[in-house]
Amino acid sequence: MDTFGLKIIASDKVFYEGRCRKLIIPAPDGQKGILPNHENMVIAIVVGTAKVQLAGEDDWRDLAVGTGFAEIVNNRVTLLVDTAERPEDIDVRRAQEQQERAEEQMRQKQSIQEYYHTQASLARAMNRLRVAQDKKWNL
Amino acid sequence: MANIREIQSRINSVKDTMKITNAMYMISSSKMTQAKKKLQDTEPYFYALQGEISRILRHLPELEHNYFVKREDIPPEERKIGSIVVTADKGLAGAYNHNIVKLEEEILSRPGIHKLFIVGELGRHYFAKHGVEIDTNFQYTVQKPTMHRARDISGVLLDQFEKGELDEIYIVYTRMENSVQSEAEVIKLLPLERSSFNEMKMPLNVHRESIELYPSAEAVMDSIVPNYVTGMIYGCLVEACASEHNARMMAMKSATDSAQDLIRDLSIVYNRARQAAITQEITEVCAGARAQKK
Repeated sequence: MDTFGLKIIASDKVFYEGRCRKLIIPAPDGQKGILPNHENMVIAIVVGTAKVQLAGEDDWRDLAVGTGFAEIVNNRVTLLVDTAERPEDIDVRRAQEQQERAEEQMRQKQSIQEYYHTQASLARAMNRLRVAQDKKWNL
Repeated sequence: MANIREIQSRINSVKDTMKITNAMYMISSSKMTQAKKKLQDTEPYFYALQGEISRILRHLPELEHNYFVKREDIPPEERKIGSIVVTADKGLAGAYNHNIVKLEEEILSRPGIHKLFIVGELGRHYFAKHGVEIDTNFQYTVQKPTMHRARDISGVLLDQFEKGELDEIYIVYTRMENSVQSEAEVIKLLPLERSSFNEMKMPLNVHRESIELYPSAEAVMDSIVPNYVTGMIYGCLVEACASEHNARMMAMKSATDSAQDLIRDLSIVYNRARQAAITQEITEVCAGARAQKK
């Protein structure tokens, strides 16, 4: 089966580099799938769950990603996101606390900027919790 | 000559100070190693972002975006200039803080309405006394820079930039050239300069691969540029943190060295004084004995 090069770069480390068969990323208007030999494209990514099927594997692995973008050039995909986490690296307790804190702040009167900030924080927390539900990723 | 006890207590106090400076030296050196590692970890992300912006600019040279608008219609006296000033939280770091302050004062002397965003206690105290407008809600420390803090900072700045409360944003920080040399530096954060992304001039007869931007060029730029600014601020914070610890390390090292010199000199003086006291005692005893004999 055809594969493509995948490189996932998070702001604090190079998260993954290798061959990949299929990739699904969260775009602003829904999920977007990428197969080998995809057209050259740059796609914005929002906070959500990305799914990958690595070369030589049949099961899907989940990972929580933050905002960023994916760049597809010459059958190479670079995923540049501010955070990328495997389910088992997610601290469920911390994510829960983050969610509660964000919800608490949402209820208070805030400026628009603070509101967006809290909203983004809440989205990240909820996404972490969602991904952490089933821990499948083990590289 | 000072008396023996005085010299002794002086030596002890110098020794105590030396213990502290030596400990600070070691703390700073370990913190610097951490900061350097952090910097290395974040570099690929940052360079990839930069490369991506330049790629998009290359493919879409006509792209107009909010963050590239220079707002040239505003005369220099009315331009609102914001600067992020990264100083240390405390002194004892040689000329580190002084260099930053000097550089910032250079910016303040230019025309325009200035507003300061200060990271670090020391700078905040300094500029509070000098009657410059300081954003008081902007309370961040320089210890352990995190992505989260950089995101907060860039959030505040991008918001003010978009609202037109700021027309230009600079960051003043210290860049590490290598492990011995670091230099205070000013970088223009916003508006973005096309030239800083070294646009490649491609010959016309070469086939260019076309890249589609999804959902739209604006949406992609919207998601790249804030991250780019955040990454830039994060990089600067980490770099500043590393150079602060480097500066402190150097300062503490020279303090320890000069304490050692001081101790050596003092112990010579001490030994002389002790020897003089012994000699004098012997002389007195001998003189006394001779007097008895007669």
